[in-house]
Parts: sequence; C-alpha cells; structure tokens
Amino acid sequence: MAEMPKLTPSEFIAVTNETLEYSFSGVLIEGEVASFKVNQGKWVFFDLKDEESSISCFMTLWGLKMPIEDGMKVVVRGVPKLTKWGKFSVTVSDVRPVGEGSLKKSFEILKKKLTEEGLFDSAKKRALPKDLTRLGVISSTAAAGYHDFVKILNARWGGIKVSVAHTQVQGFDAPAQIIRALRYFNERGDVQVIAILRGGGSADDLAAFNDKELVRAVAASKIPVITGVGHEVDETLIDFAADVRASTPSNAAEILTLDRKAEIQKVRQAMVRAGQIVTQKIDQKILVEIKGKIKDVEQRSRLRIGTFESELKQKMKTIEMLNPEKVLKQGYAILAGKISPGSVVKITTETKEIKAEVKEVYERK
Amino acid sequence: MKENKSLNQKIEELDKKVEWFYSDDFKLEEATENYKAAAKLAKEIEGDLLNLKNEIEVLTEDFSK
Repeated sequence: MAEMPKLTPSEFIAVTNETLEYSFSGVLIEGEVASFKVNQGKWVFFDLKDEESSISCFMTLWGLKMPIEDGMKVVVRGVPKLTKWGKFSVTVSDVRPVGEGSLKKSFEILKKKLTEEGLFDSAKKRALPKDLTRLGVISSTAAAGYHDFVKILNARWGGIKVSVAHTQVQGFDAPAQIIRALRYFNERGDVQVIAILRGGGSADDLAAFNDKELVRAVAASKIPVITGVGHEVDETLIDFAADVRASTPSNAAEILTLDRKAEIQKVRQAMVRAGQIVTQKIDQKILVEIKGKIKDVEQRSRLRIGTFESELKQKMKTIEMLNPEKVLKQGYAILAGKISPGSVVKITTETKEIKAEVKEVYERK
Repeated sequence: MKENKSLNQKIEELDKKVEWFYSDDFKLEEATENYKAAAKLAKEIEGDLLNLKNEIEVLTEDFSK
C-alpha cells in the first residue's frame, strides 16, 4: 500500500484548491441570498442557499454590478475555494439577480441610486444629428433584433456607413463587451451616433442592460447614444441613461433615418409648389400690367373729356353771346324791310313786333 | 473637383432653392433658371434616394477580451 502523503495544513489547503480549480474552473450557482453584508466598504459576504443547503460566498464590492439583498434569487459565477482558516466558500466574480421579482427589486434600487446621482437628467440628453452618415452599432450580429434594424435602415435610407461591433447581448459577459465597444467608438470618434440594440427576451435575458457599469458608460459616452432594447414594454436602465430611447431595434432605425419614399414625395411636392408659385407670380405680374394699362387709359380719357368739356363750355358761351334774343334783352331792336321813304318796315324788340313807315332816310355822319 | 455632398445636404440645398420662390428676392426674370436648377437637383436627390445604399461593416475587433 502506497504511503499516504503527510501534509501541513497550508499544503493541504493548497492541494485542495488546486483540485477544486481543476474540477471547477468556473461554476454558476443559483440560489437565494441570505446574511448579505458589506465589510469595510470593500468586501461583500453572503450565503447562497436552497431548501437543504447553504454555501458562503465572497466578492469585492466593486464586482457587484447590480444591487442584491437578502431574499433575492441570484445566479453567481465564481470559483470554489478553501480559505486559510479551512472554511469553504465561493469567490464570486459576477452576480446577477434572476427571476422577475428579484430583477425588478434590483432594478428599482439601482434606478433610484443612479437617478439621485443625476445620471438620467433630461438636461443631459443630446439631440441626434439630422444628417446621419456614420453610425456605430453595438449588437450581436446573430440576433434577430439586429437584422430587423438593418432591414428597416436599408429600406428607409441610404448613404450611411455603419460600423458594427459584435458583442454578446445577454449573460454575464455582455455588459463588459458592450462597455468595450462603447469605449472603442468613443476613442475613435468617427461615428455620429452609437446604437445599442437587442431584440425582445425575458427579464433575465435583458438583465445585462441593467448593469451599473454599463449604465455609467452609456451616460458618459461623448457620442450620443440611442438604445433599442427589447420590446415596447421592456424598460432597462441604459434606456434612461441614453440620449434617446427607441422601443425596439426597428424603432431605432425609424428614429435615426427619414423615410426615402416620403422624402421623394416631399421633393416632388416642393417642385410642384415652386412651379405653382412661378405661375402665380406671372399671373400677378400680368394682372398688375393690365391694371396699370387700364388706369392709364382711364386717366387719359378723363383728361380728354375734361379738355373737351372746357372747350365745349367756351363754345357754348360764344354761341350764347351771339344769340339775337340776348341782344334784344339788352334793349336793342331788329329792323327788317326796305329802307326807303314811304316803305313799311318790321321792328322786333324783346317783347314786341312793330310795323312802321319810313319817313326819311339819310346817311350817318 | 466634384462636390461630394451628402443626401441631407442636397435636400437642405433644395429647400433653400425652393424657399427662394417664396421669398422677397424672387425675380420673374431669374425664375426659369432657378427652377431649372432646382428641378435638376430634385432629380438628383430622387436618384440618390432610390439608389443610395448603406455600407455595413462588421468590425473585426474582438470585444470579448
């Protein structure tokens, strides 16, 4: 029989940890949180339990990306370890609430905290550029939501250079990957907008978008961010941190672009209106010219009529002056007949006619 | 050198050209020329709208590391 190795406690713990690491390089454990506490503002301790068993967990406060508390159902990713005091625990690298109740509770706690920090202030929201020619997309290229986005984008508009950062969009590693992609676009600075996209899924699927560090990275992005995560009813914390929230990836494409069919219609209508204006202005000009001519004719006619009236009045005056009746009224008389002694002549005055006999005729001196 | 204007820039330019017809600067003598220029631009925009495609590139960077 082979001789059994004789180890010191430290050696035994080291060998045990090596064995554990070999067997469980990483393990996911799902259970309910109990005895949650934070020591020295740095270290997090809690137990993970089910109906029969319980194991101790340890992690750094920095690694805790979503709030957890006693009674919450969570899944942890970690490595089992035997401590130097001989106590077995799991060193946790990631922890996520699971199940609708725990996710909702964690969501509300973090939302309140980040709202108080001012991360979601509406004053910080920036408008998206109207002339979009360079777009950064962060999504999984295998996701249906991404393909919906591309389909709508291509149908609606053209001429956009789209750079796609392929990342996971669910699971423990998704937030870190999306943060790296955000950093990539921000460092290069060659896109005008970053769209973070993921189609619909369960609350657990979308939980990555409630990651504290990811929310902070979205809020800190120098480049405006639009989110299109899940369905209309889904709400994630990065939606609040983004400059614009689209209800779905397809809706994000609609917000980012104009509709080419509607634009063609608008262009055509604009030209029709411009043509109508030219016609109107021509009509107006013709109308003004015609009115001017009519006015001119009226003025000339009025002038002519005035002159004619004046001349006519003058002539009437002259004629009036030559009227024999007017002479008779002045006391003169008209003599008619042969002017010789013994002849009878007719004398007309204003009021009478007289017959008279000529007595004598002689020349005036 | 040919100007490489984006679709939106062309649309903005067309808007300005059309606005001229409504403005006080409008002169009937210049209307025909301006209308021809606007119509040419409108045709170009329609062509762009129908034919322009997006260029989609999936980055080769590995964001998992």
